[in-house]
Amino acid sequence: MDIWNFMEYAAWALSALFGLFIIIDWLRTDSTYSEEVLTSSREGELEALTEEHHI
Amino acid sequence: MVETATQIPASIDASTPEKVGLLRVLGPAHVWALGVGIVLVGEYMGWNFAVGKGGAYAALIACWFAGVLYTCVAMIDSEVTSTVAAAGGQYTQAKHIVGPLMAFNVGLYLVFAYTMLEAANAITVGFLIDTVAVMTGHDGLDQRPFIILAIMFLAWLNYRGVLATLSFSLVITAIAFSAIIILFLATAPFMGDSPLRHAELMTDLPYGWLGVLASMHFGLWYYLGIEGTTQAAEEVRSPARALPFGTLAGIITLLIAATLTWYVCVGLMPWEYLGQAGVPLFDAARLSGSTFLMVLLGIGTLFATLASANGCICDASRAWFAMGRDHYLPSWFGAVHPTYRTPYRSIIFLVPIALIFALGAPLDQVITFSILSGLLEYTFMPLNVILFRRKWPLETIKRGYEHPFHPIPAIVLLCLCGVAFFAVFLGYGTQLVAMVSFYVIVSLWFHFWRYRFVSRAAQFSMPWPRPAGY
Amino acid sequence: MARYIPPVQSKVGQIVDVIVLLVLAVGALYIPLWMGLAGSSKVPVPVDNPTWESLGQNPAMVEKWNQLGYADAASAAEVISARFDYSFSLGSLVLMIVVIVGYYAIMLRFSEKEFRDVISEKFGER
Repeated sequence: MDIWNFMEYAAWALSALFGLFIIIDWLRTDSTYSEEVLTSSREGELEALTEEHHI
Repeated sequence: MVETATQIPASIDASTPEKVGLLRVLGPAHVWALGVGIVLVGEYMGWNFAVGKGGAYAALIACWFAGVLYTCVAMIDSEVTSTVAAAGGQYTQAKHIVGPLMAFNVGLYLVFAYTMLEAANAITVGFLIDTVAVMTGHDGLDQRPFIILAIMFLAWLNYRGVLATLSFSLVITAIAFSAIIILFLATAPFMGDSPLRHAELMTDLPYGWLGVLASMHFGLWYYLGIEGTTQAAEEVRSPARALPFGTLAGIITLLIAATLTWYVCVGLMPWEYLGQAGVPLFDAARLSGSTFLMVLLGIGTLFATLASANGCICDASRAWFAMGRDHYLPSWFGAVHPTYRTPYRSIIFLVPIALIFALGAPLDQVITFSILSGLLEYTFMPLNVILFRRKWPLETIKRGYEHPFHPIPAIVLLCLCGVAFFAVFLGYGTQLVAMVSFYVIVSLWFHFWRYRFVSRAAQFSMPWPRPAGY
Repeated sequence: MARYIPPVQSKVGQIVDVIVLLVLAVGALYIPLWMGLAGSSKVPVPVDNPTWESLGQNPAMVEKWNQLGYADAASAAEVISARFDYSFSLGSLVLMIVVIVGYYAIMLRFSEKEFRDVISEKFGER
């Protein structure tokens, strides 16, 4: 087993880690917020929204 | 800006419903990074197939004609997008100017062009790492974990927020671009002992002028994706100024990079080899005889592919998100992450799609799928801008940028698209027909089924006056 | 024109729609592959006892081939002699033109119809 075999395992592990983070956060977000809030974005309304928050 | 990004969600929780939207945090440099970042990989791999298609001079002619094509694209796009500042870019333009069915098709062009390009980039990452492994004496590397890691890492980055994503792109794109400039300076004849042998290596056109036409197919690859800058429209601080500036600066950067790349590569490699090389700039650096250049261009190749895949995830997810938001696609995709302010469900959904194609299809097929979707989109643009000027003449809407000499750029673009279609037909006629058949079928599906879920007036969101003639 | 109220799509309907799109998209890429119709690969022209001279390579080219790892003419012969076949029939060219022009014509026609609905609902009837 040389460095490249090790790299292969490391790449698998990191992929799983990133994937796991995304999936956990996704499920947590979907269960914390209501569907109305999550899909409340409307085209062309962003101007008003950003004004409100002084960006 | 970053503080604002974290402050806003604090006020939002499930009990007090509020609106969440994308964040306006990007500047012109990010727009440049998004545009150039996606495309620059084309100089590191793929463009050289144009050399194989018609010889070295044919590739240069294709490079410049494709450059004219994309200059028209950038000018037209800049004008329209400086007035339509919403995520979805050309999709939103088509929806307001041509009509819903065209918009649905354009949205799919965007998603497929970018997702396929992302898959092609991931394949190249795997190939590059394998090349390095072989050079260090390790045969039989499993490329799959590296392909998957590239896609998962970039998806994660995109998931976490657009500012970090495009700042990352900005840094690695700048390094990859500098690598090309350094390679040129280090090998150029005015620097003394040059390894370039243009006089001996250049040949006549091996296929005659038909080969020049054929090489337009991969000539597009020098610039494919620059039009993606408009996808960020909803996240740019001042879109009317930053988008035209970032896009036009991007096309100038690419014209320089493409010409330099051609010049160095054809001076170092016989065209028969160059025409089928996997990583031509890396090969060029190897032939220059400098270890420093070899390492630099290896890193450049890796960074260029990552920047490109990164921009592709960003663009494809915006287009998918925008279509979900309008119910052109299931509304579930129209969600924005309350903390990170990204279209997170679209990002997640496109990951397995990219993986299917990155792990299962050959590189040239994936590239062709991407080029064809792009080509259909460029053919739409002249129609778009002609209708835009007709329905809303210059005095009716204030534009952030007006492109000159209308309608000449539109006509030139249409003619060059015709040439490019012919070039694709010469090599990949079956895919072309399969692809267009796909779009015909989904169009019928959309018109007769899917469009019933779309509300009519609400999708026209720009504060424009009534179009002339309606 | 009366305001059009779109129906709300059920969760199952949403999933079905996504699957339909996916099947179509994957099909468009993979069907030409499976049918073996995809792509144009180069056709190598076999050369007997190739030498650098018979392959038309000058000393500068030979030097570059050597640097690239092709030690003798035989190893590089296949790469050097392979050529694309650009022949095509007029019939298939006409078919392609009809398909593409027809596609855009259908697109613009249906879009125009839908666009008029959108405008008359948004700005009211004239």
